[in-house]
Amino acid sequence: MKLMIVDDSNIIRSRIARVCLQAPLHGLEIIGLARNGNEAVNVCVRKVPDLVTMDLTMPGMNGLECISALLALAPNLRILVVSALSDKATAIEALKRGAHGFLHKPFTDARLASALLELMDEPEANHVRSDRR
Amino acid sequence: MSDLTDGELKIFIGAVTHYFEQLTREPATIRAAYLANGASPHFDYTGLITVSGRYRGCVYFSTSGDALRALLAEFSEPDRQEENLLDAVGEIANTIAGNTRKHFGKDLEISAPVTIRGVPEQIKSAVCARPFAIQLAWSKHDAVVVVDLALAG
Repeated sequence: MKLMIVDDSNIIRSRIARVCLQAPLHGLEIIGLARNGNEAVNVCVRKVPDLVTMDLTMPGMNGLECISALLALAPNLRILVVSALSDKATAIEALKRGAHGFLHKPFTDARLASALLELMDEPEANHVRSDRR
Repeated sequence: MSDLTDGELKIFIGAVTHYFEQLTREPATIRAAYLANGASPHFDYTGLITVSGRYRGCVYFSTSGDALRALLAEFSEPDRQEENLLDAVGEIANTIAGNTRKHFGKDLEISAPVTIRGVPEQIKSAVCARPFAIQLAWSKHDAVVVVDLALAG
């Protein structure tokens, strides 16, 4: 499966990439790194990933806007939001836009791996949601 | 004085301790929490989050380069050069401020972090005469979180 990592923090992008090299996730191929929503859309136009980790607070196009933009390009994308924004309304908004999961920062490597494995194992039928905008 | 209640200020203390509990093998110790007088406390590296919405002002996290290098080592990050020290201090500020939204919700609209090496000029436009400062120690390193927020309007 192909993964794109979207986060304005270099150390978070690197950390997620390192976790993906470890045993339970080594089947994941990282096809793109993006620092904001605009870069993520550009990556997605060139090579469509299967999974995306998505930060929300980013300069330029933010994560919520980016979820909608990416799903318009590739409706079967599975998106895991990885964000420090820990209010319920933001999580609901992300899910309404079509994200499949939400992992709060700060996260441990084990939690990230578990969340990504869950997303990888999710049956295809659960991907397309009726409440997407 | 801050427009935040004691309970709301404790939310920030909780966010700080939660960050270090989750990510490192050593919890942070809160050394002092007080209303700062005079110059805002800071160290060599500062990550600053601008706040808008119901509140206006900023929240910043500031610490030394040694502390950031130690934190990057905890994350197994091999690149501990200047660029990543700034990235780390911004990400910590973003995480602490973002986590307080569990309590504040969208009343606390937060920006992407601005990172500063040296004296943080931006902080001179502070909104409170006496912002709330949380001094902490983690793994022999000192740091501070400053909450400088007032009700908008």
